[in-house]
Amino acid sequence: MIVADRKPMEEILAMLAPYKRVLVLACGGCVTVCVSGGEKQADLLASQLKLAAAAAGRADVQFDVDCITRQCDREFAAMLKKPLDQYDAVLSIACGVGVGFMSELAPQATVLPGLNTTSYDASTAKGVWQEYCGGCGDCLLAETGGICPIVRCSKGLTNGTCGGTKTGKCEVSKDMDCGWYLIFKKLQAAGKLELYTKVRPAKKWSKDRNGKGARRLTHKELMETEEFSK
Amino acid sequence: MRDVDLTSAAMAKLTGTTELLDREWAPCRNACPVHADVRAYLEAAAAGDFVAAAEIIRRDIPFASICGRICHHPCEQNCRRADVEGAVAIREVKRFVVEGLGASAPVHKAILQNKAAVAIVGAGPAGLAAALDLAKLGYRPTVFEKFPVAGGIPRTAIPKYRLPADVVKQDVDWIAAHGVTIVTGVEIGKDKTIADLQKQFAAVLVTTGLAKSRTLPLPGADHPRVLPVLTFLEAVAFDQPLDIGKNVLVIGGGNVAVDAARSAVRLGARVQMMMLEDEQEMPAWWWEQHEAKDEGVTFIHRRGPVEIVVKGGKITGLKHRKVTRVFDEAKKFSPTYDDADQAVAACDAVILAIGQMPDLGFLAGCDVKPDANGRVLFGINKATHETAVAGVFAAGEIVTPPGSAVEACASGQRAAKAIDMFLSGKPIVLNDATPPYIGTIDAQTADKLIRCDRNPTPTEPADVRAKNWNEFEHTFPEPTALAEARRCMSCGSGAEVVVDKCAACQTCFRVCPFDIPKVTDVARIDSALCQACGLCMAACPANAIVPKGYEPHALRDRVKSAVGKLPAGKKVVAFINGFHADAASWTGKADPAPAGVAEIYLSSISRLGPAEILAAIEAGATGVLVVTEPAGADRYPTTMRKAHAYVTRVRTMLKEIGLNPDRAQLAVRTAANRAVVVAAERDCMNSLIR
Repeated sequence: MIVADRKPMEEILAMLAPYKRVLVLACGGCVTVCVSGGEKQADLLASQLKLAAAAAGRADVQFDVDCITRQCDREFAAMLKKPLDQYDAVLSIACGVGVGFMSELAPQATVLPGLNTTSYDASTAKGVWQEYCGGCGDCLLAETGGICPIVRCSKGLTNGTCGGTKTGKCEVSKDMDCGWYLIFKKLQAAGKLELYTKVRPAKKWSKDRNGKGARRLTHKELMETEEFSK
Repeated sequence: MRDVDLTSAAMAKLTGTTELLDREWAPCRNACPVHADVRAYLEAAAAGDFVAAAEIIRRDIPFASICGRICHHPCEQNCRRADVEGAVAIREVKRFVVEGLGASAPVHKAILQNKAAVAIVGAGPAGLAAALDLAKLGYRPTVFEKFPVAGGIPRTAIPKYRLPADVVKQDVDWIAAHGVTIVTGVEIGKDKTIADLQKQFAAVLVTTGLAKSRTLPLPGADHPRVLPVLTFLEAVAFDQPLDIGKNVLVIGGGNVAVDAARSAVRLGARVQMMMLEDEQEMPAWWWEQHEAKDEGVTFIHRRGPVEIVVKGGKITGLKHRKVTRVFDEAKKFSPTYDDADQAVAACDAVILAIGQMPDLGFLAGCDVKPDANGRVLFGINKATHETAVAGVFAAGEIVTPPGSAVEACASGQRAAKAIDMFLSGKPIVLNDATPPYIGTIDAQTADKLIRCDRNPTPTEPADVRAKNWNEFEHTFPEPTALAEARRCMSCGSGAEVVVDKCAACQTCFRVCPFDIPKVTDVARIDSALCQACGLCMAACPANAIVPKGYEPHALRDRVKSAVGKLPAGKKVVAFINGFHADAASWTGKADPAPAGVAEIYLSSISRLGPAEILAAIEAGATGVLVVTEPAGADRYPTTMRKAHAYVTRVRTMLKEIGLNPDRAQLAVRTAANRAVVVAAERDCMNSLIR
């Protein structure tokens, strides 16, 4: 699931300063699950914004709340209570996908991000989400015991460990586990150390986002047209 | 589990109705013969609103004072708390509530009472319940009673140590105040006939009950010291002189027999009860057995009477024989005896308490004739209460099996509906179906609940009470009544999930102290298990959980209105966990809160999330004080910890926007001590600048 975290309040307040009629737009998808951008968080944020405006003596501002099932699907956008361009600004508290897609669907609207999108996470304990995937476009997990070196190695190495590993910790910080040490221990326990010693060729970073435009997933059988812009 | 899948669209249409969010019936209500809304009156009582509680009680229970004393309380037998640590003492809470209001119980008369006149024969529970409902529907009921006072068996046969006469009078007067005419001292069949009534009234309802004692054709049974039980109990009820000697033997093992035995004890006699049944088989309630034994009554089980031994004109004993069985294989009453095993129990008086039967004297001089066989009399159609004669109806124990006062009330209420249909020219169709109700609590959930033992009923010691006619049980003091009402788990009030909003995020499951939500495609919360704490509602990031039985925005509206009423200046909203609060504090009748403080009492603050706290500040509160019970002292296990986390969260949120975080404060205090709460409110007020 995509995880995002609320932007610092001063940044939000500065972003919204020029606007009077603002919609706080929640998303019922991943950001609801990670308790950052669902309807309840939109209510709380709107409450804060109203109180901040009142404290600043701004009686002319208005904050509405709406929520759609997912901000990353155009069909759900049709369920908005009001068109987005009827607001001076829309503070989307979806992940960056939602912010971008909403602003594409409503080109006249000013859609602003309320969250910083961080990672692809799993919920590891009550109230805790942790990154498990780096989204590199060329998955290595079959060879690394399910531990993502792109996420867990501070250098994103595909052949580790490097010389900076020390008693299982990374040279970057003594509080940080060495990702490749974790991979080593996991493969050792599984009796698959040959995967550890295997030398992988240089990673195809072209499958990441460098210089190729937006990455795109296509399922031809679900498509009606193959024509789309880059 | 009720199959309700709510959607936002369905929710939006709920304006003006709560149909989809109606709470299911709890087993207590289903088991109550008149289906009193037990949960609702316990909740009102728990909030210290005894007037509202009494109104709810009186809505369904015509004999509220009487039932507060002597009801056999099937509600308690079916209380789900019985599977936790003990049923809620529902009857005792009812007694406290009704007694507190006394004779000032509000009367809601029909606006116009101009419909047909109806005669009712017998002013007992069935007759008066029917009369009350008919009067409320606008009919003009007149109740004829052969005794000089109304009330039926509760007045004439239930001994006053269980039910004082003035308690009966209170209910009778309350019913009469609804426009019910009660004519006492008139016996139908003797002073007037049913035919006479038919000439004057559009319908006649016979509710004469079981007014005659069954007798046994034993040798010696004609001795003047052999008393039929009702004769004995009526003499006791009306303080008439009785000659029962010093050594009384009561034949019978039912509740009436126990009443007779315990009354005889109070008349100074040594009392034995002899019955065919063993301890398990005997029909008297177990608590009555214990109370009688404590008062010195001896039980002789599995013996059948043969002869009352009379020597020199005096009863000297009762010859009895061994009972080999009471019921046959089909569980039918069919006793057999071993005549070889006989003995004599010494006694000088015998009370025959082997059951009651209808007194058919009321049939004299009318066309209605009794059927030959047993209990179903004069062609009663049990479904419609009609007898063989058009316009003559019957209800109560002459129709039903012998039962309790509340069961007779239910029969009377049903007959009132039938008579209303009859007099409106409609076919009589009575639907006895009740709405769905939830089942028992499961063991895993019961294990997770905080234990809270049932409060014992204050009772006179056996050696003291056996010597007088004073009530042997006392009304709960107010703190006990409140504590007991707060033991009610509000069964069936659980949360409902708005399915199109639910993101299946597992938050509800993770915050639930009882592990009730099951999250698959969406969360589903079994209302039979949900404890309605509201922790999941406060936490749900999708706002997808709504409480049943409450307006979703009721709390915010209440806060807004409370803040609006505060004078200009600093304003504090105090959310107070009322689980241990006294009634006066909760209902605003105690020492006033400091000026500028609006108190909002809640049954628990577990439903209070950051959104509600911020909403109070938005509504104009300078500060919000959350008063929570210390950990473990609330009805739910995690309330204090959550309250602390949420107040901390709000303080951070206030700080983020440059407001004073002290505008949200937490006080971990018990609301049982008003002075402590007021001090916390004053501290909060003083700490706020502006």
